[in-house]
Amino acid sequence: MTVQILLGPQTPTSNVRQAVESLTFDGPIMSITAGWRDSEGEIDELQAEIGRPVEDLKIYHRAEKVFGLEPALRELKRERQDKLLELQRLYRIRLSSTLTAARKLMRETAEPDLLRLEQRAAINQIRALDRHHLRRIQTIHREFDTRRAELDLPLATAERDEVREQLAGAGLVLIAGGHVAVLLNRVRLFRLGDLLAQKNLVAWSAGAMALSDRIVLFHRHAPQGRRDAELLDAGLGIVRKRVILPHAQTRLDWSNQKRMALFARRFAPARCHTLDNGSLIRLEDGEVVSANKSSLINRSGRRKALRPA
Amino acid sequence: MSRQIDKLYRKGAPSADAVDEFIRSHSFPLVETGRVTFVYRGSADEVILRRWISGLNTAQPLQRLEGSDLWALAMELPAKSRFEYKFEVVHNGQRDLVVDPLNPVLAHDPFGANSVCQGFGYKRPGWTLPDPEARSGTLTGLRVNATAFDDQREVHVYLPARFRRNRSYPLLVVHDGPDYLRYADLKTVLDNLIHRLEIPAMVVALTQSPDRLVEYTGDPRHARFIANNVVPAMYANFPLVDERNARGLMGASLGGVASLHTASLFPDLFGQLLLQSGSFAFSDLGQHQKGPIFDPVVKFVNAYRANPFPLAEKIYMSCGIYESLIYENRSLVPLLQKQGMQIYFEEARDAHNWENWRDRLRQSLTWLFPGPLWMVYE
Repeated sequence: MTVQILLGPQTPTSNVRQAVESLTFDGPIMSITAGWRDSEGEIDELQAEIGRPVEDLKIYHRAEKVFGLEPALRELKRERQDKLLELQRLYRIRLSSTLTAARKLMRETAEPDLLRLEQRAAINQIRALDRHHLRRIQTIHREFDTRRAELDLPLATAERDEVREQLAGAGLVLIAGGHVAVLLNRVRLFRLGDLLAQKNLVAWSAGAMALSDRIVLFHRHAPQGRRDAELLDAGLGIVRKRVILPHAQTRLDWSNQKRMALFARRFAPARCHTLDNGSLIRLEDGEVVSANKSSLINRSGRRKALRPA
Repeated sequence: MSRQIDKLYRKGAPSADAVDEFIRSHSFPLVETGRVTFVYRGSADEVILRRWISGLNTAQPLQRLEGSDLWALAMELPAKSRFEYKFEVVHNGQRDLVVDPLNPVLAHDPFGANSVCQGFGYKRPGWTLPDPEARSGTLTGLRVNATAFDDQREVHVYLPARFRRNRSYPLLVVHDGPDYLRYADLKTVLDNLIHRLEIPAMVVALTQSPDRLVEYTGDPRHARFIANNVVPAMYANFPLVDERNARGLMGASLGGVASLHTASLFPDLFGQLLLQSGSFAFSDLGQHQKGPIFDPVVKFVNAYRANPFPLAEKIYMSCGIYESLIYENRSLVPLLQKQGMQIYFEEARDAHNWENWRDRLRQSLTWLFPGPLWMVYE
């Protein structure tokens, strides 16, 4: 049995030590800090916090090295990223109007039976759009994988084999937060998903999001103004049917219960879990066995303390 | 008059010592909710407040306060307002325009320094000040062959911290770039917003015209210089994203006109326009009253109003409500919106000056170029 412990942001206080100490494992502790990008591997504070040595896999820097040595791969990756960015832009255009319609219906006060069906249909449209978007993203990833397989990439293959071998020996893997897309892309580049699924994991913020099967970006208080929550990509699928929401306290619009209800219903049957500083969710065989300072957003848009199943 | 001055005069004309103490213990101008009182101390025949606020008298005399060498003027000022001013001091027939000796807050522009009046509640945004944690970008130079003008021109280039040749960056081209650096702290703002992940790391071309009153007023040579010289030179020398949406053009005042005009001649080039207090003079009937410099501007804006078309994907516009250009800017917004472009229009309780433009940079840049903050969950 493998255990996944999901944590919230590690500032201002850290609970990673508590998570690590709750686990029994053989083998070294390794970390993935690719989400920190240029600061990847700066783990002195992390090691001091948990009081044990940690070995960072440095997959961000390894990827930079590989892209430098394998221009064909770099070009292929750039092409994929451009396509994904463009697709995301197009998705946003559709999402904006679909969400606007659903929000208007959520505020309506028509005859309840009549309204309920219309609201449900509007939410289904958003869900259909999200599903469509995810399929389109996966098609682009598959095309990338096919074209990559056709390339002769000895240096990339050697680097991948090396990092996989290193990871295979880990007793516990820590996955830090940061830039969720960068983190996910690097994990994918080195095909670490299957190995991570077999490991005990402690992941926080973006690290926890990357483990889920759908990554949802959200920030209602971004400097450029309100922005609709959007689907970024499929995650690694190690934590299933759960939408992970770090910084939920500050990034979600708790003052608007109808919006929150729409948010929860949009992603149902997946459960929306909040992860703030101090939060901890322990999963065994995919089920929550303990939780602290984490909430579920229910269909009414209210927060409910997360309890073990 | 302000409560503080009333208090000073509660027991009649104050002594010189009391005035000294009053000056020492207060900040000037005296700011209260909804009101500001300007104070000048010294011998003079007349003291006049000179300010640049549209709709109000540009000159207003201060009153001599009985039994002292203090002069004062109280005026209504809505919260969070900001404007620039000077005192005109008349002595023995001689008129001197001076900054307020009691107010240390100054704003600079190419014509010198002005005193700054900050209304109740105004606070300089923290992101305009150097942040020791923000890594500093670098400024470098690029010599551009300006075929449009048959000469060579120096373009300053901002490269973000940790700039790498193997990455691709959005490009922002700035009119009056060196002035933006000097008077609107553009480099500090870029460093800070990039550090906070509010905008992406970007490359910025900072252009400056030797004759902006001609070149920025709808001169097709200038548009060709930007489109055919500056942009290609930037692509030849720096790793840039080759997409319209990743290219922006900005400017303030006549720089706003130059931006809009360039975009009108090359509508496929820039996806993002940032126009601050654009001098978009136009006439509905008869001759405009803005002087001959504005003839080509009026010709261009009138032509565009008669035959509008999409110029960019997104346009951010801002204007101070204390500047006369608010009328022109407000008029342009619905016209641009009807062309199917995304328009963000922001009004500020400020006037036609660099600090107004500085204070709007976060909203404008983050709207046009949203950064990876959205993707970052620490």
